[in-house]
Amino acid sequence: MSVETEQSIAITRLPAGLGGLLPALTLIGLFFVVPVLALLLRSVTDPAPGLQNYAALLGDGTYARVFFNTFLVAFVVTVVTVLVAFPVAWMLAIMPPALASILFGIIILSMWTNLLTRTYAWMVLLQRTGVINRALMAIGIIDQPLPLINNLTGVTIGMVYIMLPFMILPLVGTLRAIDPMTLRAAALCGASPLAAFRRILLPLSLPGIAAGGLMVFVMSLGYFVTPALLGGTSNMMLAEMIAQMIQSLLNWGLGSAAAFILLVVTMALYALQLRLVGSKRAAGGA
Amino acid sequence: MKLIFAGILAGLMATTAARAEDMVFTSWGGTTQEAQTKSWAEPFTAASSVKVLQDGPTDYGKLKAMVDAKNVTWDVVDVEMDFAIKAAKDGLLEPIDFAVVPKDDLDPRFSNEHAIGSFYYSFVLAWNKGSVSGEPSNWADMFDTKKFPGKRTFYKWSAPGVIEIALLADGVPADKLYPLDLDRAFKKLDTIKSDIVWWSGGAESQQLIASGEAAFGQLWNGRVFALEKDGADVGVSWSQNLTAADVLVVPKGAKNKDTAMKFLAAASSAAGQAKFAEASGYAPINTKAKAEMPADVVKGLPDAHVDGQINLDMNYWAEHRDEIATRWYAWQAK
Repeated sequence: MSVETEQSIAITRLPAGLGGLLPALTLIGLFFVVPVLALLLRSVTDPAPGLQNYAALLGDGTYARVFFNTFLVAFVVTVVTVLVAFPVAWMLAIMPPALASILFGIIILSMWTNLLTRTYAWMVLLQRTGVINRALMAIGIIDQPLPLINNLTGVTIGMVYIMLPFMILPLVGTLRAIDPMTLRAAALCGASPLAAFRRILLPLSLPGIAAGGLMVFVMSLGYFVTPALLGGTSNMMLAEMIAQMIQSLLNWGLGSAAAFILLVVTMALYALQLRLVGSKRAAGGA
Repeated sequence: MKLIFAGILAGLMATTAARAEDMVFTSWGGTTQEAQTKSWAEPFTAASSVKVLQDGPTDYGKLKAMVDAKNVTWDVVDVEMDFAIKAAKDGLLEPIDFAVVPKDDLDPRFSNEHAIGSFYYSFVLAWNKGSVSGEPSNWADMFDTKKFPGKRTFYKWSAPGVIEIALLADGVPADKLYPLDLDRAFKKLDTIKSDIVWWSGGAESQQLIASGEAAFGQLWNGRVFALEKDGADVGVSWSQNLTAADVLVVPKGAKNKDTAMKFLAAASSAAGQAKFAEASGYAPINTKAKAEMPADVVKGLPDAHVDGQINLDMNYWAEHRDEIATRWYAWQAK
């Protein structure tokens, strides 16, 4: 929720004539800006005025660990998602449109399936007595079950799977816009496939990677269900901790402060990303 | 400003607006709420023609938001006992009207000025017979990884239960549990930390035991009851079973307070309690209820295992909840 908020604000550009934008601005103000301000206010007034909530969060090793976990998981998930999504997106970009639209349908279909169902499915697959471990043991590749769940591995697998469409879709758009002739030209000039990828395809697809990567990273920061079920207690992420504070412990001040810190850090990263992508685009001559 | 915030929150949450003559009952969902609907709400509607709308799951944050915003859409809520004690202290609950709700037959362990017992359950030791050789008999066995190798599963959240189990396993006598010696409990838990798989909801606890993912663990007795009913090969030990109660409360400012009190009277009656216990496997809090139940059902209830039964101290937890939670999550995250 907070994540969407600042994205929406940042995306909104203000041209000279504001009149036509008034309804939209009012909507954004009412549903995004006011709640965030209320959140900020609560974090410095509940249970008493002051900065004690922030002091408690920043001064405690446990919370620091949860913050660290959150960013670590989001980072790992983003990197793996890019690596897995790229070949898929490339295939979709170059295959005949009819076939591509069927594959698109399959990818989108996974997004329509209930998140909890998909996460439970991964639990069944990944546990020590799960399908994957039993299959690997049956064919003799391993003789002890691999620890695939209740740890970073489980969270990464589950979250990458859920994030893939958000990476593939923007990437396909970017890749399709690349003129295939540039690659052919590179080959004709004697570039190896690797060199052509590194010096032509990769730089040209950077805007798509950046856009998808940012979306995945920001969504991962606030993720709740999947890490809660596939992770262990040492991988607790911020969203789970905030939910505990709000729903069970009724420690709303502390929860608000944690949410606000997450919001500020996310905004800072977003600003940084915009700058980086902007300069890369300029360098690429796009 | 606080009011505006709470107002927005409650406005967003007020999805179940009831007609004046209806009331809203909120519980945890799943088989428990189904049993509550069948045993309490339906007979209540039949007798009074008041519709009982179902909502859920119970969310303490929502409850507080509603009361703060003075826009309470829940009339009766099923909550944990320690929350009820703290919520009453914070002024979130209506006092029970004992002129309407007869008190005499209610087990005094599970009711107070602001809450009437809903049902009580026991944490028991359950195991997958295919994954455990021998019969673990008490909590000490759960910490003995030599005698009983394999993963063990515990409740993930900071709540009455796990700390007490660790202390009992470490040899603390049942009557000396409180005040909880947290240092000692965490030291004991350290010894098996890498063998623990956590469950965060009842369905997950069943899945872990039924699949053998965890050889044994701490489960709500109703969940073991359901596993047995489904034919899963599970064993259970009632030795040192730990009781805790869910209670029914009326949030401060509930719109249908009078109807809510009548509903509480029906839910806590011997008949209502007997029906619910039979459907859920949890124990009745009305002392007359057992007489109305088939003997073989009574045998499976925590009521039949009062020998060695240990009552978790909800007053202690209500008072120390925050402090224990901080230690608990710090230890888990390590």
